[in-house]
Amino acid sequence: MTLNTTTKSQNWKENFSDRLIEILGKDGVISSPDELIAYECDALTVYSIQPISVVLPRTAKEVSEVIKLCNKENIPFVPRGAGTGLSGGALPTEEGIVISLSRMNKILEVDIDNQRVVVEPGVANLWVSNAVESSGYYYAPDPSSQSVCTIGGNVAENSGGVHCLKYGVTTNHILGLEVVLPDGEIVEFGGKALESPGYDLVGLFVGSEGLLGIVTKVILRVIRKPEDIKTFIADFERVEEAGAAVAGITAKGIIPAGLEIMDTLCIQAVNEAVQAGYPQDAGSILLVELDGPFDEVEAQVPIVMEVLKENRAKTVRVAKDIEERALFWKGRKSAFAAMGRVSKDYYVQDGVIPRSKLPEVLGEINKLSARYGLRVANVFHAGDGNLHPLILYDSSKDGDFKRTEELAGNILKICVEAGGSITGEHGIGYDKKHYTSLMFDEDDLDTMNLIRCSFDPKGLCNPGKVFPTPRTCVEQGRQPYRVNPLQKAGLGELF
Amino acid sequence: MPAYIKELTNILDSNQILSDTQTLQQYSIDGKNPKLVLLPNTIEETSEILKIANLHNLAIVPRGGGTKIGFGNEPNSVDIVLCIKNLNRLINHDVDDLIATTQCGIKLKEFQKIIKEKNQTLPIDPPHIERGATIGGIIATNDSGPKRLRSGTTHGTLRELFLGLKVIRPDGRIVKGGSKVVKSVAGYDLPKLFIGSLGTLGIIVEATLRLFPIPEFSQTYLVSFQRLEAAYKTILSILNSSLIPTCIEMINPNLSHIISNKLNIKSGEYLLAIRMENVVKAVKSQTSKLKEICLDKGSEGIILEDNLEDKFWHEVREFPWSNPENESVVCKVSVLITDVPKVFWKLEDLANKSGLEILTSARAGNGVLMIAFDGDIAKLTEAIISMRSFVDSLKGNMVIQKAPSIIKSKIDVWGDIGSPLSIMKKLKYQFDPNRILNPGRYVGGI
Repeated sequence: MTLNTTTKSQNWKENFSDRLIEILGKDGVISSPDELIAYECDALTVYSIQPISVVLPRTAKEVSEVIKLCNKENIPFVPRGAGTGLSGGALPTEEGIVISLSRMNKILEVDIDNQRVVVEPGVANLWVSNAVESSGYYYAPDPSSQSVCTIGGNVAENSGGVHCLKYGVTTNHILGLEVVLPDGEIVEFGGKALESPGYDLVGLFVGSEGLLGIVTKVILRVIRKPEDIKTFIADFERVEEAGAAVAGITAKGIIPAGLEIMDTLCIQAVNEAVQAGYPQDAGSILLVELDGPFDEVEAQVPIVMEVLKENRAKTVRVAKDIEERALFWKGRKSAFAAMGRVSKDYYVQDGVIPRSKLPEVLGEINKLSARYGLRVANVFHAGDGNLHPLILYDSSKDGDFKRTEELAGNILKICVEAGGSITGEHGIGYDKKHYTSLMFDEDDLDTMNLIRCSFDPKGLCNPGKVFPTPRTCVEQGRQPYRVNPLQKAGLGELF
Repeated sequence: MPAYIKELTNILDSNQILSDTQTLQQYSIDGKNPKLVLLPNTIEETSEILKIANLHNLAIVPRGGGTKIGFGNEPNSVDIVLCIKNLNRLINHDVDDLIATTQCGIKLKEFQKIIKEKNQTLPIDPPHIERGATIGGIIATNDSGPKRLRSGTTHGTLRELFLGLKVIRPDGRIVKGGSKVVKSVAGYDLPKLFIGSLGTLGIIVEATLRLFPIPEFSQTYLVSFQRLEAAYKTILSILNSSLIPTCIEMINPNLSHIISNKLNIKSGEYLLAIRMENVVKAVKSQTSKLKEICLDKGSEGIILEDNLEDKFWHEVREFPWSNPENESVVCKVSVLITDVPKVFWKLEDLANKSGLEILTSARAGNGVLMIAFDGDIAKLTEAIISMRSFVDSLKGNMVIQKAPSIIKSKIDVWGDIGSPLSIMKKLKYQFDPNRILNPGRYVGGI
């Protein structure tokens, strides 16, 4: 059956829906418009597209059957976890379906002695740490949305968190994956043991933003909880001083578990929103967290204090207990949500810069902010250089969002010019796909296209994301060329 | 004269094109001599060489220091050995950001020496450093040593430290991937695709690497046990404690005796070596906690520092490679941590039955073992086949890193890849449709 976009009939959709119900059962398929609304976008709500159906498989086999059907009918599909993504990675495609992994939410195996947990993709990030806590272990990558976001989504975006400098990101903690490829074949990459021979397909798949297949099982590494944690909060008159303090700490040979900087606008917003108790008039706040064996942390505390004082910290507080530690972090973790206090809307970006370039880049952002007449609050993962500028705007004001997008694009340009990246953890998704070419030229993009062609020559798996324009593939075995649905829909062209 | 030779002389000087018999033998792979050895001085020259090779369907074997040239299956054919040892500049060391970008022909030893001046290090300790292993070769094989234990940070192998790259595709295009910062999810993770790919997808010419400060102090606690069970229980206690060692190594009796003789120290049957690296106070305090754990399991050890400590770890890293000319077999086995004792017992069983000399050192906190087998060739073959089957039954991995031709012709060094092989073949086809890079040496005959 060929998909003819110009003479679409209602019958076609019903027919397709029936075929999906055959695979998943009636309660596994959503087709009514009012139920579909919840799946029109992810946490980047400015873009929304209604899918033709949403399916909720329970097994890898069901995922595989759905994908095979999509291949047969040339229907694109978009995987979705909890929909907390900030780059539109789970934004549906026109005339496509959404495959939600939320019903595959079991923890399959906990193997403490071997430091492994095996989960289905719909398991929430925090559930993993909860499952191993009583044994004294935890799962290190901790994005702020961890109580809701799913491991499958973490795999797609190579999610980070506030402890990345010391503990790495998702890709440093995944040992194996079961994946349904874009043609429906179920394969296994890696495993519980290390050193799987061949190409590191696990490493290639993590961070591929749902373009190379759908993960149906994940083998995670869990690590020992640290014996001791010490959290500091220091305030500075100028953000340059906070930045210099960060450099000073690493120069002393210390790799803190957490290093976060917030600027004045952020500080004031979180003080108002959650009573964080940060010094209201501070130019910037630096949060430092040390963790490790008791003796290591105790030895590091005076060194950190000295560096902070040397860099003109006005006040330094050390959390005296768990409650105070939670309070120090409360402000930082509510930073995005608190923006609602100072602005009607906000747009968060996710650039990365070399740590040492922070003062320079913030200076550039301030200039841009003035030029566009839009306030920008800054939250910075000072340890790994991941900057989250929050552009504050008012969607009810004409042209505000357009200028916001332009300002955001210019911030990304600055990040790349400073030697950084356009995304540290949110992914390129739909949101930043036109900025991918800031970092990669035609040959680089062509190289990445080789990867897509190996996995998804038909271009049905989460198309329209990450890369600026779709490209064709040299087909193996020289099959006759099949028109890509995006090309047919006029959304892309043949190179 | 074949057309490609003329084309090569257009881009390279005569001293960059070697064809004398002695050189060709020196640069052979599994006994196969190349027709030419090429030594480009720049990335552009390397790119031009690949263009010519791709046009004329020549089989290329990339090479750095040649220390791991024996990895992989025997090549289908070899026309050119492309040696990048002259691409050896450290391009940029960003001290404040703990990042360095370097050409890949640089020797690891040289790289470490340069960044040490700023008190920084690349925290990997693979073998062959003294023999001139290059960063490119280590990337191509993801070779590693005892420090791969992931203790408290993301040390791991070079895979976790390899941030960005510049690579020459088989068609000569020079492309980049990854980034030059510690965290980036822009585009597909090309560094992960390329690390361990054994030069089959492209020639990596530049790498951006993550560095760490050099720890203030290092100390190794060396303790021996008469029985394997006690050694293994000790390891489990350490893994479940708050200690964060840099290395946890368990060594079998044959190797323990060799090493303790070389170092002139007393030793029992199973050696356990635990390395701590941190500020002085923390190292000393952790070592005394470690002492308590070991005493509880019935053994007291000694502390190795400075030269003796360095010598010890050198022996652990290099033991399989001390006699490169001999016909020994070297394997890297990877199993679950809880299966490490099973591998030890299997090896003892094999040694007893076959009379082979079997040495092993295990990265016990990772489940990775380096094993050297020596002895009669027929017994060797039997033992390797038996070992492969045993490791498969544990759902582990066994890769043969060195073996005489007669064994390589009988056994695939990589093992059975299973379901992902077809995707790997598709990737190879996309990157290298003419199969000019290391044909036949990689998994599944790629």
